[in-house]
Amino acid sequence: MNLRIHVKYFASFRDITGRREEVMEVPDGVTVEGLREHVKGLYERMAGRDQVLVAVNGVFASLETVVEEGDEVAFFPPVSGG
Amino acid sequence: MIRVQREDIDVDAVLGSVKTSGSGCVVGFLGTVRETSEGRAVERMSVEVYEEMAERQLSTIRDEAVERFGVHQVSVVHRIGDLDVGDSIVYIAVSSGHRDEAFEACRYVIDELKERVPLWKKEYTSDGEVWVEGERRE
Repeated sequence: MNLRIHVKYFASFRDITGRREEVMEVPDGVTVEGLREHVKGLYERMAGRDQVLVAVNGVFASLETVVEEGDEVAFFPPVSGG
Repeated sequence: MIRVQREDIDVDAVLGSVKTSGSGCVVGFLGTVRETSEGRAVERMSVEVYEEMAERQLSTIRDEAVERFGVHQVSVVHRIGDLDVGDSIVYIAVSSGHRDEAFEACRYVIDELKERVPLWKKEYTSDGEVWVEGERRE
């Protein structure tokens, strides 16, 4: 079984991926860590980044979090507001 | 008042939003666009946001500041979009009975904002465009 999730990219990751968002099909039971590795595999320039932060449905997610159908998963570099 | 907006910040309105009759002071912090960054001349800046998450994170930080320091009200307004040198980026106002806790809470809010709120600056410098990236937080 595959899940469909909504993936968003911000700041330098938007430049790297060339897109703001995409729909992605991922295996059932995938964790945030697994998804992050998948995305790093898709985009070579993200693979070299030490800091790839992940939020699921607008909340910082632990690496063990299991992603569910329809989730919004955002990837971004360390923040720099203020 | 928790807000992410393109328009300039009405500092008086934000100050007014935190005043209560039980408060003895309001402490404010205004962040502005500096003309240099790591030795480069900054011509202008733009700020990007993950909007749905940013306002929620700001509300959480506000609640933490009230809980930790016992202050009365906290407002935060952060700008996004294109900014020039000298423009306001963020304004934080905190009201409380006495000044010590207001200063501490204001410091807490700006420090947490810089680590946890999904906003990113891009500087347009003499060497080209540079995304500013902060310390990590996972």
